[in-house]
Amino acid sequence: MNNMVQGVFGAVLGALYAVFGTLQIVAALTGPAVPFVPASLFGGFVLLVIGAVLLTGVRNLARGLDDGIGFVNVGTLLSVAFGAVTLLAAGAGALEAAIAGEAWSVADALTPAVYLAVIGAAGFLAWCRAFFRGLATA
Amino acid sequence: MTGIRVALAGNPNVGKTTLFNALTGSRQHVGNWPGVTVEKKTGRINRSGHAIEVIDLPGTYSLTACSADEVVARDYILEERPDVVVQVVDATNLERNLYLTTQIAELGVPVVIALNMADAAEAGGCAIDRERLSALLAIPVVRTVGIRGEGLDDLLDAAVREAETPPHHEHTVGYRNDVEAMIASLVGVLEADKDLAERYPLRWLAARLLEGDENALAKVRESPVSPRVQALLSTIDPDECEAAMADRRYDVIAAVLPQVRTAGARGMNVSEMVDRVVTDRYLGIPIFLALMWGTFELTFAVAAPFVALIEAGLARLSAAVAGSIGPAWLASLVGDGIIGGVGSVLVFVPNIFILFLILSFLEDTGYLARAAFIMDRLMYAIGLPGKAFIPMLIGFGCNVPGIMAARTIEGERDRLITILVNPFISCSARLPVYILFAGAFFGAAAGVVVFLLYVLGIAAAIGSAKLFRHTILPGESSPFIMEMPPYRLPTAGTSLLHTWSRGVMYVRKAGTIILAGALVLWCLASFPFGVEYGSSASLAGALGHLLEPLVAPLGFDWKIAVALLFGFVAKEVVVGSLGVLYGAGEEGDALSTAFLADPGLSAATALALMVFVLLYTPCLATIATIRKETGSWKWAGFSVAYGLVLAWLLALIVGRIAPSFIGGA
Repeated sequence: MNNMVQGVFGAVLGALYAVFGTLQIVAALTGPAVPFVPASLFGGFVLLVIGAVLLTGVRNLARGLDDGIGFVNVGTLLSVAFGAVTLLAAGAGALEAAIAGEAWSVADALTPAVYLAVIGAAGFLAWCRAFFRGLATA
Repeated sequence: MTGIRVALAGNPNVGKTTLFNALTGSRQHVGNWPGVTVEKKTGRINRSGHAIEVIDLPGTYSLTACSADEVVARDYILEERPDVVVQVVDATNLERNLYLTTQIAELGVPVVIALNMADAAEAGGCAIDRERLSALLAIPVVRTVGIRGEGLDDLLDAAVREAETPPHHEHTVGYRNDVEAMIASLVGVLEADKDLAERYPLRWLAARLLEGDENALAKVRESPVSPRVQALLSTIDPDECEAAMADRRYDVIAAVLPQVRTAGARGMNVSEMVDRVVTDRYLGIPIFLALMWGTFELTFAVAAPFVALIEAGLARLSAAVAGSIGPAWLASLVGDGIIGGVGSVLVFVPNIFILFLILSFLEDTGYLARAAFIMDRLMYAIGLPGKAFIPMLIGFGCNVPGIMAARTIEGERDRLITILVNPFISCSARLPVYILFAGAFFGAAAGVVVFLLYVLGIAAAIGSAKLFRHTILPGESSPFIMEMPPYRLPTAGTSLLHTWSRGVMYVRKAGTIILAGALVLWCLASFPFGVEYGSSASLAGALGHLLEPLVAPLGFDWKIAVALLFGFVAKEVVVGSLGVLYGAGEEGDALSTAFLADPGLSAATALALMVFVLLYTPCLATIATIRKETGSWKWAGFSVAYGLVLAWLLALIVGRIAPSFIGGA
């Protein structure tokens, strides 16, 4: 039952990552960016990778394979990790702007990697902590 | 207070360094083992009236002297005779670890086993009877969890006790009857040489001679008993003897294990599940690339405010020096030479430390071993082992530690190729040049240009590796055997200590090699007396005009020639040099404006210059490291010459082709 709930969570989050990753790449290639979806080839690539990991997990779970849950958990961990990386980079940008006396907007930090990571963090707290606790001592 | 020397031995990835750090804390000294480029770490502890010196031996799977690490570990135990050897054993992989135990015990030194990662074994349902293991091997066994500092006191107490006890287990493994007879015959002959008998355990030496061990054969070559030894050895097949002895050691281990270990139930554990994901055939490389993107994002973005602060601090220091030092030449020496030269390197310390912190974290979690595994196929295709990928990865931060990281590669030719191609991996020192020129000439496309330069660096490394493999360093790439360490969550202390020990080397180099180079270049830019610093009339200017014909086909003038010459010291000095020569200081915007106003510079020339900076001769610190790591000026000189030729040719091609695409001849 728990795996099924996590599978649905992985499917939704994976699809969101895939959609926003594609949007970021399209924006980078064609020019105009959607609000809160910056044009970034590499940023989009990372979102697509996270989405692919989550969706592979969902596919394997649907096929009854043991490792499916591993893909969903690692995908969720990557979601949180890249959210943290983007947030740290944005924080450093804010600090740099403050040092240089330049303007900085909090909207600069609101990228898909950050707001999708909020969903990822909820899933991480719900399921993944127990999974990775096993890893820390494995 | 009595002194005790404790040598820490063990297989790679058993937590030996973590245990060493936990035992010695910051009381460490890092150097090299004499005559080889294998790192030597020592530390000191005072305990119960004993001054204990701990020596971290290189991680080895055996003591058969096949690699530099094995020779160092074995020779230290034999020649330096530590009071006790503590073997760090991975409790989750007893069978493989005990093989080394059988070999260390044969050396006739007191041994203590640190049964490390005991918590991981217990979590996996594996129970180990330490007392029984200790009784069967006649070696004290102490439970430790290095990462949490558990069992350290017991380990030190056992080491002190054992150091004060005479060695008693030279005969841990009894070999096949015919091998034992041969050992006895050899021992009988070797006993006649008193010097050999005093220096080495003869049973051990005889066993190694039977295995055809080159290092052992060298030890008896000068002995008067050598002809008799050779006569005995001529009757046996060393490969067969070696196999028979290895079989017997595993027989002993196989007999011991069931008596001491209760294995847990096996299923697909968490570590294996994560491995399925990160080493997945299709997702493994994209996940790795994503992590690398995250690494560089953090390295550059997070470091930026700290870099800005250091730059501001250096600017204040420079201004204070200019205002307080009397003679103008001395103010120039300190301001332009020392602060300008060394400071331009020190501003990148935050980038270096953050990069090393992330790499240490990835390494300590066990991920980098997986990264090497997934890159093995690609690396093998270019003629290098998968392990060669890690030095390349580190080279993105700085080529110096990247080249030093090649020490882990076993094959000498593989190691040499890895060292020689590392300078083409675009280190962080080159980034200021890219940022400056790409920003000035390519506007919104600057990011793409910088990315393409990184790709070109990788392509140059791959192409050169293939070329070297098929020409000057032919041969097959050595097989990639790398144990996947279990995943672990590193502690902040462990990662910070690893970061510090690596990062401080960068800072030390800034204060030595780069300082010396900066002083030489300051002299060139200041003499003859009375000329404007770095002007056309200075020695540097004269040199620039002398070099100009060489770089003129690439579209570069004398100023760029001088800046490139200054870049020999460190690539980022190119920016500072251009700032002086263009009279714009080191302010990025002012320099960009000056470039755009220079009719001799165009987007195509800028692109050619960036390609040249990417590929031309490594910086002084890298050249010195290549010399040190290869032990030869020949290879250091080759690296300089090859880089210059490649850079010149590619910059020429780019300079000629680029105008067709981006305009500006």
